[in-house]
Amino acid sequence: MRRQRPTLIAVSTLIALTLTTAPTPANAQSAAQPHQVTALTVRQADGYATLAWQPVDGATDYQIERTAVDTSGTPTGAPTIVGIWRPNRQINQQAPTFADAGFNPGDTFQWRVRARTDTTEQPYSDPVTATTTAPWGNPTTPGEQLRTGWETTHAAQYTSDTDEYAYTAAIDALSDRVRVVELGRTVQNRPINMMVIGHPTPAATPEAVAATAPVAINCNVHGNEPGDREACLIMARQLAFSTDARITDLLSRTTVLIVPTINGDGRANNTRGNSTGQDLNRDYSLIRQPETTAYIKMVRDYRPVAGYDGHEFGNSRAGDLPMLPPRHQNVAQPIFDQSQDMIEGHMYAKGAEAGWWACPYGCEGGGNVGLSEETILRNTLGLKNVTNSLLELRSSGGQTRPDEGNTANNRRRKTYSALWTFQQFLDYHRTDRSEILTARTDAIEFQAANTGRLVFRGSRPIPAHPAPHPGDSPPPLDAPPANLILDNAPCAYKLTDAQYNGARTDGPGGVGTTVAQRIAAHGWKVIKTGDGYYVPLNQPERGLIPLLLDPMGVEKLTDGERVHPTITGRRNGPLTVTGFTCAADATINGPVTVRAGAALVATGTTISGPVTATRAAGILIADSTVNGPVQIAATTDAVSLIDVTVAGPVSLTANTTGTDTPLLAGTTIRGPLSCTGNNPTPSNLGIANTVHGPRTNQCAAL
Amino acid sequence: MSQPATPPRHPRLRALGLLAPTLLLAACTSSPATPRADAAPPANAPQVTGPLCAALPTGTEPGNPTFLAGQSVDQALRWIPTLTTFEAALRTSGVLTDLPAGTGVTILAPSDDAFAATFSEDNWDDLMTHHTDQLRTLLKAHLITGTHPIGDLSTAGRTTTLDGTTVTVTRTGPTTRLADRADTVCADYQATNARIHIINAVLGPLPVTADGTGHRAH
Repeated sequence: MRRQRPTLIAVSTLIALTLTTAPTPANAQSAAQPHQVTALTVRQADGYATLAWQPVDGATDYQIERTAVDTSGTPTGAPTIVGIWRPNRQINQQAPTFADAGFNPGDTFQWRVRARTDTTEQPYSDPVTATTTAPWGNPTTPGEQLRTGWETTHAAQYTSDTDEYAYTAAIDALSDRVRVVELGRTVQNRPINMMVIGHPTPAATPEAVAATAPVAINCNVHGNEPGDREACLIMARQLAFSTDARITDLLSRTTVLIVPTINGDGRANNTRGNSTGQDLNRDYSLIRQPETTAYIKMVRDYRPVAGYDGHEFGNSRAGDLPMLPPRHQNVAQPIFDQSQDMIEGHMYAKGAEAGWWACPYGCEGGGNVGLSEETILRNTLGLKNVTNSLLELRSSGGQTRPDEGNTANNRRRKTYSALWTFQQFLDYHRTDRSEILTARTDAIEFQAANTGRLVFRGSRPIPAHPAPHPGDSPPPLDAPPANLILDNAPCAYKLTDAQYNGARTDGPGGVGTTVAQRIAAHGWKVIKTGDGYYVPLNQPERGLIPLLLDPMGVEKLTDGERVHPTITGRRNGPLTVTGFTCAADATINGPVTVRAGAALVATGTTISGPVTATRAAGILIADSTVNGPVQIAATTDAVSLIDVTVAGPVSLTANTTGTDTPLLAGTTIRGPLSCTGNNPTPSNLGIANTVHGPRTNQCAAL
Repeated sequence: MSQPATPPRHPRLRALGLLAPTLLLAACTSSPATPRADAAPPANAPQVTGPLCAALPTGTEPGNPTFLAGQSVDQALRWIPTLTTFEAALRTSGVLTDLPAGTGVTILAPSDDAFAATFSEDNWDDLMTHHTDQLRTLLKAHLITGTHPIGDLSTAGRTTTLDGTTVTVTRTGPTTRLADRADTVCADYQATNARIHIINAVLGPLPVTADGTGHRAH
């Protein structure tokens, strides 16, 4: 699904702009020597400088030299080789570019580039001299003048927790575009804040934000990997105050959700895990910890359609920016494909323009990483139908840059490469929004149809990028083993009261939230009938539900009882539903009546209709056809119609389903649609319905 | 709107959190801890030595050795970029604050790279979150009573760390070797009542658990 993209795309207008080709006049006139690099240019951007040059025939690699100079061009430091560019590192073999970073932004440098043939050093190019771009924001303009602790200390210190709260609060106070909300608290009671950013103002409620197809960046889950977090804080300032048309345009089309520090306790102690030692990026499905619970509730309420998850990576043989899509095989194909398109279609191409080496996660010698754990946000989000990618910032210099340890310059290289990635992520959403939304729609309809096998662990393959490619090896195949595949997916999982409401010990201090609370945090529909709690699989997160509730789950919450369909094939005559009834791939010739307290779950089914449910516990229909009216009234637990064709009127009346929002999504109604007195108000999840008759009251906008 | 908040362990910081927005607005380009550009360097400006020094803040940059000489030791450690692991461990364990008031201290501070080469991430998190006693012992193996220039330590040839271990100290060309396993990479940082020598390996008794690949999975 990777699309070919034009290789020449307008340079982001945010990136300001000094195109410098300023060799000294004498040098400019000199004829090139054999194997000498020519046409060296440098283009400045936020925290890095893109060098580009004419390739030399037969070059094995190129060395990039940087020298600090004063404003008159006189060297103030020793020339240093700051980079090595090799022809198999990016997809632009014929147009080499190198993003030089790891300097104090605003300083002035001279650059030269030379080819090497095997190990023979060829003559340097003519030098170019330029002043790098100072930290973003006019120092005298209110708002723009804010700086993070990391910036004011010249990257000697990371921005502290209290500095972060002060900085984001100041942005909130000075920019109408930004609202800071607290998603929750860490184990040690630090706030987990999120910046909600829109133009001219962010939408007022989570549901209203969700309607803008928002994007989400999780900046810092591992406390000892803080590079992405600093990029997030800088980008938030740009988004809050820039008058650049690109920024205001993208913010007027969507909402940017930035969570700078989900793991504030780990950040403060520079540990990977939270204060209990739990690796939070092994907890997004189980949500045992308050930090991950806060993020998952955010995803439920704000419904981001695309995401990035920031990390740092200790593999020194990796590229600058290893990335990986959600690979778990239960992730719907369109989400995997769209995520791959974002990475390989967009980031690889843009990286080649800017000089960053984006590559598949794992990269050379990547080892056994990048697999299918649904506990990892990359996969959790994919299973929630979010186009997304992991982002790694290579911790050390690696093969292409000097190894500077954990010094300010290395920190700058990491942070400004993350800033580039996040800005590109916003651009991708801006240009490919309709494709992202189509992928999401297709994915949700696929999941709700509850078709195909379930895989408990196992990844989709990531083929090596065609040569010339940006990484020498793809991540491990990670095919699902036979004992973790379930071909005959159930219709639902049934939990006992003890399983659903029982006390748990798997949280901080030996106290865990209940399964009921975690299912609610994920936003899954549950139906209580007389003999238990049923979690149907014909829901948007069908791929994730079994991983937590099936006995075959590798990291599960409980051993739910598989409930298989009770109606399949052809059935004639009226159907009266009592208890829990599941129809799959059935044809029901006759009216269907769901009695009080009963539940109907249907997929792939044709019902002649009408379908009438009054005071039912739940009714969830997906990927089905009803050739008559549908009347659903006074339901107590859950209502969902996804990808249903109804040849008649539909009414949803006085359904009172607690915290669970009735869903009406991707459905075609050949008649009027009327919704009155429902609490909560029905939602379409951002997936439009086709209604041939009038839409009234609560469903007027569905 | 969020409320700036801090963990209960550091109630003092709450006031800072509320104060900081004002500071950011009023003096955004100069955080409270940033050295004043016009501050005259003291006559006895510290001379740090070692191969890593040039990559650390120098000259008049924030966190330069002259500025650090006027800082408390815990503040000075925060300013040295390559000591994030060690600094957080000292802070978390409370080892420094347990020293008698006014006690001079010499710190053999392993770099972040040294910690990464010694402990797996899981092992390190386990030490930090569950095994405070082991962590304190480990850290004491890097502390010496009194403020000792690295030259004095190598002249003496040996010293004793707070965990009671005798450590050999040998001058080896431009750097100094400790316990036959660690070399100074930037020595003779000064702070109030303290000397800080950055070293490239972890001392103390704990076993190496890093697997050497550096492949920390996301």
